[in-house]
Amino acid sequence: MARENIYQEEEFPSPIKQLWYTFKNTPVAIIAFGCYLFLVFFSVFGSFITPHDIVENNLDKLLVPPAWNDDGDVSYLLGTDDLGRDMLSRLIHGTSLTFGLSFVVVFFALAIGGIIGSISAINRGIKASFLNHFLDVILSIPSLLLAIIIVAILGPGLGNVLWAIALVSIPQFVHVTRNAIKEEQKKGYVLIPILDGASETRVLITSIYPNIIDKVIIQATLAQSAAILDIAALGFLGLGAPIPMPEWGSMLANSLDLFYIAPWTSYLPGLAILFTVIVTNLVGEGLRHSLKIQKDR
Amino acid sequence: MLNFTLRRLNLLFFTLLMLSIVSFSLSYFFPGNVLVNLSGEVNADQQRTEQLVVLYNMDKSIFHQYTAYIGQIFSGNFGLSMSSQMPISYELKTFLPATIELCLSALFIALFFGVPLGFIAAIFHNKPLDKIILTFAMVGYSIPVFWFALILILVFSITLSWFPSSGQLNLLFEIEQVTGFKFIDILLSDSQYQAQALKDAFMHIVLPAIAVATAPMTIFIRLARTSMLDVLESNYIKAAKAKGLSQAHIIYHHGIRNSLVGIVRLIGLHFANLVTVAMIAEVIFNWQGAGSWLIESIFARDYTAIQGGLIALATFTFFINILADFLYAALNPLERHKQHGA
Repeated sequence: MARENIYQEEEFPSPIKQLWYTFKNTPVAIIAFGCYLFLVFFSVFGSFITPHDIVENNLDKLLVPPAWNDDGDVSYLLGTDDLGRDMLSRLIHGTSLTFGLSFVVVFFALAIGGIIGSISAINRGIKASFLNHFLDVILSIPSLLLAIIIVAILGPGLGNVLWAIALVSIPQFVHVTRNAIKEEQKKGYVLIPILDGASETRVLITSIYPNIIDKVIIQATLAQSAAILDIAALGFLGLGAPIPMPEWGSMLANSLDLFYIAPWTSYLPGLAILFTVIVTNLVGEGLRHSLKIQKDR
Repeated sequence: MLNFTLRRLNLLFFTLLMLSIVSFSLSYFFPGNVLVNLSGEVNADQQRTEQLVVLYNMDKSIFHQYTAYIGQIFSGNFGLSMSSQMPISYELKTFLPATIELCLSALFIALFFGVPLGFIAAIFHNKPLDKIILTFAMVGYSIPVFWFALILILVFSITLSWFPSSGQLNLLFEIEQVTGFKFIDILLSDSQYQAQALKDAFMHIVLPAIAVATAPMTIFIRLARTSMLDVLESNYIKAAKAKGLSQAHIIYHHGIRNSLVGIVRLIGLHFANLVTVAMIAEVIFNWQGAGSWLIESIFARDYTAIQGGLIALATFTFFINILADFLYAALNPLERHKQHGA
């Protein structure tokens, strides 16, 4: 193709930028991304914007239904629980626990898994083979089972649950990083810096990382949706966040007894978890879709 | 095929070796006395403790301790449960079959509904039906199982009262436990209410199986859809079209058969996920299986039970994995000659 603007510098966007250009043209994905940012906002500033305190008991207002109900009270928009605590405030505050902490956990797992994956991709032979087998073993143990075992060693509690889930999420990042690096190493462009005399680490950092980051991010969104479900599941089983904390899973577990008389105390946290996981999955799915479109071009 | 078998058996051996090392090291990681953690005998007197020291080689190096531990595992001695003081192997025999029963029936449901739905989505690619099925798959994949199980109970047991909300069998039926699998036990028993008992056991398993099956089913929908789309784009489908075969004929004779092969390989991979979901569902539906037993034992700080549960559930998952691999190799000759595993 003849170039029309020979004076203009031709721009080659980085892979992550290319991914964004495709991503923002997918309506569903961009809506999900908006919701995702909304959740991030809530988890950072949630404690400042809640209408009530999360542990404030209002004994005159026990089990008030949501405002759209005839018995509802508009100052308690989503109703109250059996101790008269405002559901809306607890749900908003819970965003930082269930969603925000899953973000932190995945980031941590990504960093550690990425480093181990890079090391194993550079090394060959017995070390890499051992690591591979080890990963196979870890990946085939049910993740929640492993997390439960780790929690059993460390003892119940939200902090320990986070450690457990982070440890459990590391292997998949090792796997993805390793495979992606191996794939890139076979491509031609990696040869040029090597011929220029760049060390293996330098090639990895300057040439390979920018080209695999999209795959790693996609894996991160999938891992985050799994982490949200795991945090909530362990909270539900009573192994995670302690009772007064408004973690969605433990809120759901507390409301089990009220299931019949005050259904909103259990369906609201459940809906919150469902919404968060769907949003995270849709973002991941949108990214994956964009990557596929790019490859097909 | 021999090469393939040896490769898989090697992997299985390595996996079980790793698992046993992890399980053995747990008794050092868990708080408390190592010997008590291994044997679970909390109230052992001086004499018994000396016997146990000899049994587990506690006075020798850690390698000897490990070999002694392996020896005990292979002779079926997983120690005593710290809370109930019953042998772990006995408790596993009671609880594990229920989990296997639940997992396999959920797997069956997931495959039976998931795979055809995925095929339908692929055949109507980018049409409204495809979008509907994909949306359903997205919601089903994201729904937390403990919440979904509660909703199932609320709708089908409390409001509609179609199915019982918990347990495996109505206590009215006196079924002697032989294998632990409820359905087999009922068939083996000579109760005069055999048919009713079977029906009752079936009614009990429906809701938990649906709850467990939903997440894996949506995975199978997506797998089947991708697999079918790949097959439909391949050259032999084009050749079949050029030959003038009808669309239905192509799908039935070439599409379904070839895409099924790809799915079998991934069943094993996603089975771990299914077992995880089953563990939570067991707690909610009060299903007397290994998952709920394991979670209870965490609250009771029953470390021997945790070790036994880990070994049992992980081994079960591995065996299904390997089984799926063999099935795949049997169906797909290309896989057998691959020199390196994926």
